[in-house]
Amino acid sequence: MRDGGRRAVEFAAQLLDVEEGEAVLGDLAEGGESWWRDLLDISGLIVRRQVLLWKSWRPWLASFGLALPASFLLMGFSLGVTRRFQHTGGMPPLAERILLLGAWAWTGGYVVASLSKRTLWMSVASCFLPCLFCLARFRVPALPSPCLLLFLPPAIWGVWRGSRLSGIKTRTAMLLAAAVTMLTLLLMGEGLPAVNWVLIWPAWYLAATGETSTL
Amino acid sequence: MLGEFEYLLISAASGLGDQAYSGAIQREIAAATGRRCSIGALYTTIDRLEGKGLVKTWMGDATAQRGGRAKRMVRVTPKGVQAAKSFYDAVLGISRGARWAVKDAGGGS
Repeated sequence: MRDGGRRAVEFAAQLLDVEEGEAVLGDLAEGGESWWRDLLDISGLIVRRQVLLWKSWRPWLASFGLALPASFLLMGFSLGVTRRFQHTGGMPPLAERILLLGAWAWTGGYVVASLSKRTLWMSVASCFLPCLFCLARFRVPALPSPCLLLFLPPAIWGVWRGSRLSGIKTRTAMLLAAAVTMLTLLLMGEGLPAVNWVLIWPAWYLAATGETSTL
Repeated sequence: MLGEFEYLLISAASGLGDQAYSGAIQREIAAATGRRCSIGALYTTIDRLEGKGLVKTWMGDATAQRGGRAKRMVRVTPKGVQAAKSFYDAVLGISRGARWAVKDAGGGS
């Protein structure tokens, strides 16, 4: 039990910055208190750190301004892509839709991760809870329910890249944003709901915050 | 103006000098006040003071006593010394007429 408790304390320390986690574990080792007292102590610090993070606008935008609404829209678009695939029976007529789905999901994931890495857990929950909600209520006999989640692989890839890179080059981001806008415009003419326009802002956010290359 | 806990932390760090780090400061505060302060309160207050330029922190050496973990060292800056002195002067000034302060002064003479 004691070893398990100590492991829990060390696991909790991983939720802090590396250096801070080290210093805190050292202080706790010196203090010589019981493991549950240490766990309580370190949990208090983690909660305080999270509360401080949420004083900024960034985690709010990432979780409730992007991850939550985008997951609903991307599930709807994923469903549309699957339906179209069934009707057309092939890839070529779908290429632009698949590209757009990938680009919206990737840029969304990238921006969610780069806006607030340390509150990524909440952004992930804000994306997955609507997915679970919709999967539980999915009643379209001709379609498999996982088709709702077509957007997830590019979104997860975007999150992975966004949490590791400091930024992408302005030129690349501008090209990406222009391509996403053109594709969205193209599909608007084919009856895509206007609400999907909101999915292009992550691409333009990347363009606006991109790194200028220094040669 | 400093808060009460901020003043305690700066005073403890100042008294510890080169040996001031988070764990030692925590023990000093507990010894002076009779109450153990939480790691959460300690670390977030150190961050706040560092943000105001009143203390400077860096990662120090690891010791076996700490399970080979590094220490978060703390040094009070000149601005921190000034802020603590202002707080101390204010406490002394406001306490001058207080019953307990007058009693202490009377008992001491």
